[in-house]
Amino acid sequence: MSKERLLSVSGLKKYFEISQGMFKPKIVVKAVDDVSFDIYKGETFALVGESGCGKSTTGRTILKLTEPTAGEVLFKEQNIAKLSYETMRKLRSQMQMVFQDPYASLNPKKTIQQILMEPLNVHKKFEPHERLNKIIDILKVVGLSEAHLHRYPHEFSGGQRQRIGIARAVILNPDFIVADEPVSALDVSVQSQVINLMLEIQKKLQLTYLFISHDLSVIQHMTDRVAVMYLGRIVEIANTEELFASPKHPYTQALLSAVPISHPKEKRERIVLEGDVPSPANPPSGCTFHPRCRFASDICKQIAPSAVAFSDTHMATCHLYNLEGEKK
Amino acid sequence: MTNLLEVNNLNICFRNGKSITQPIRNVNFTVRSGEILGIVGESGCGKSVTSLAVMGLLPPKSSEITKGEIIFNEQHIEKMSEKQLQNIRGNEVSMIFQEPMTSLNPVFTIGQQLMEPLKQHKSLTKVQRKERIIEVLKQVGIPRAEQIIDEYPHQLSGGMRQRVMISLALLCEPKLLIADEPTTALDVTIQAQILELLKRIIAETNMSMMLITHDLGVIAEMCHRVVVMYAGSVVEEASVEELFDNPLHPYTKGLLKSLPSQNERKSALYSIAGQVPRPNELGQGCAFANRCEFATERCLTAAPPVFSVAQHKAKCWLLDETVGGVFSE
Ligand SMILES: Nc1ncnc2c1ncn2[C@@H]1O[C@H](COP(=O)(O)OP(=O)(O)OP(=O)(O)O)[C@@H](O)[C@H]1O
Ligand SMILES: Nc1ncnc2c1ncn2[C@@H]1O[C@H](COP(=O)(O)OP(=O)(O)O)[C@@H](O)[C@H]1O
Ligand code: SF4
Ligand code: SF4
Ligand SMILES: [Mg+2]
Ligand SMILES: [Mg+2]
Repeated sequence: MSKERLLSVSGLKKYFEISQGMFKPKIVVKAVDDVSFDIYKGETFALVGESGCGKSTTGRTILKLTEPTAGEVLFKEQNIAKLSYETMRKLRSQMQMVFQDPYASLNPKKTIQQILMEPLNVHKKFEPHERLNKIIDILKVVGLSEAHLHRYPHEFSGGQRQRIGIARAVILNPDFIVADEPVSALDVSVQSQVINLMLEIQKKLQLTYLFISHDLSVIQHMTDRVAVMYLGRIVEIANTEELFASPKHPYTQALLSAVPISHPKEKRERIVLEGDVPSPANPPSGCTFHPRCRFASDICKQIAPSAVAFSDTHMATCHLYNLEGEKK
Repeated sequence: MTNLLEVNNLNICFRNGKSITQPIRNVNFTVRSGEILGIVGESGCGKSVTSLAVMGLLPPKSSEITKGEIIFNEQHIEKMSEKQLQNIRGNEVSMIFQEPMTSLNPVFTIGQQLMEPLKQHKSLTKVQRKERIIEVLKQVGIPRAEQIIDEYPHQLSGGMRQRVMISLALLCEPKLLIADEPTTALDVTIQAQILELLKRIIAETNMSMMLITHDLGVIAEMCHRVVVMYAGSVVEEASVEELFDNPLHPYTKGLLKSLPSQNERKSALYSIAGQVPRPNELGQGCAFANRCEFATERCLTAAPPVFSVAQHKAKCWLLDETVGGVFSE
């Protein structure tokens, strides 16, 4: 894989202020709190973590669907915060999103043709007389056909709707797709069909994915690198195979051990985490994982750990290791 | 082992104006005492409807048991009056639902809600009731049980609410616990805690459990025996090891083969083509025929009966020729 950088995120923060009513102080939810990573051209980069840890907010902020509180996003080395409206509009056609819920993300009052025509009209892509043919081509790519053009979303199954969602995302010929839990709402037998489609069009259309998921077996199967998030922060980044073979951060270790076994005879040593994920409105001091960490020591309660590099491609934030990546 | 629950030839249909929904067709299975029986299948295949029928909770206006029997502890559930059912429900049989927030009442404290089944089914003094509640909350691993009883559901996290639901189901020491996707709404680390808890409780008591899930990993983790459902019918029944090592029905085979763990990284996953037929698309033959790579002429015209090979059952024509299955119903 060529190591050409497509996207660079640095120091990204997104805080939400929630009003408690008059005279009460506002609550600040630190949904994304100082997140940095690069994504290279052609790869699938995964964001994994439990519900509410900030995966979707990271994805949406990168696409400028919400404004960041702080930090920088470079897409093809251009700072997207500083782009003019017109340049951003052009860039937008190169960055698309696939959503979790194929039911909610398609307009129920529009036919498939109308749904797919809209982005072509908005971005004035292709000559008007070519557009219908382009739509039919894309439907074939995602395993549907011309026969579906005049149907409405409710006439399709969940898996077919997700195919339509994918068709809508790729019709403008983007380079980069944020796929936010694209298979989580689907049944097992349909899930594998949609995963295959994503793998196939990635090759065919040379796509780069930011793949957001909480399903570790899907992540292990289809991604190249993984960032593990906990309470708005990235706690570990590594190549997928390395992460699964040798997780360094105690949270990653617990997360991987919690995945159900895949055969009744398989034995897995489970690291059971005590308690629940704390609220991002009131995160614990120091290392935010310390109340649940079995290795927590005094320093963990006071000082947030900085990143430790285990190799060029593997880093984690944890006090257990010295800066050379050795266990202290 | 004796059978605590027997579902024999159960048929359920819905009357919903014009729309046709998946009826439950000839469902058979048993739950033995002390075992965890898994029921696995895709969305809409009839898992929840079947379990509601066992609880006597089918919507009376729009649904009907048209045939078959549900025998729990030698009593016919399908013949019981609402009053008789109320004596059993939450007492001898209880249920945990998928979404804990919708099944706890937001306006009552945890303690008030846990008090109800005890008042209804057990003759205990007020003090004994409180003791029992705190005991059960501790059993399910709730810290600060004495305080939690005065708190409201919204004050608890998702994992805690699911624990409260489980304690509610355990209060009267039921013989059968039905858990409908008890961990689907939870994160993996919390799921691991809850599954561990349920496994421990079943091992410690003589309770049986019907565990409904669409996740084969949860099945592998938890169950002794498994029933696979497809489009309103049971298509396979086996011990959990048998099912994973030697699946007989092409649908089960396909499901297992499509798991990412069974496929080489980055390769195209094995996948079952097509989709579940809508109820109005079901023909005379096997409900899986439109997706089955082994389908023959006969599969399209005649629905396969259940064949058994020792303790392993499957509803598929392949079994009579290839493995010498015995026609069993
Ligand atoms: N009250 C009802 N009236 C009419 N149809 C119903 C009713 N309840 C369920 N059904 C239908 O019965 C079929 C089986 O539903 P059921 O809820 O048992 O599925 P399930 O296997 O539990 O699916 P899931 O995995 O999505 O929970 C579906 O087609 C559903 O739409
Ligand atoms: N629009 C919003 N307003 C307030 N809080 C939000 C908003 N969107 C997300 N959050 C909060 O930010 C945190 C991260 O959310 P999200 O990115 O959706 O998590 P994930 O996708 O990892 O499940 C959560 O605590 C969530 O409740
Ligand atoms: S820094 Fe401390 S508390 Fe945080 S993960 Fe490492 S050992 Fe655990
Ligand atoms: S009966 Fe025929 S169509 Fe049905 S599962 Fe068996 S082989 Fe396939
Ligand atoms: Mg999300
Ligand atoms: Mg259900």
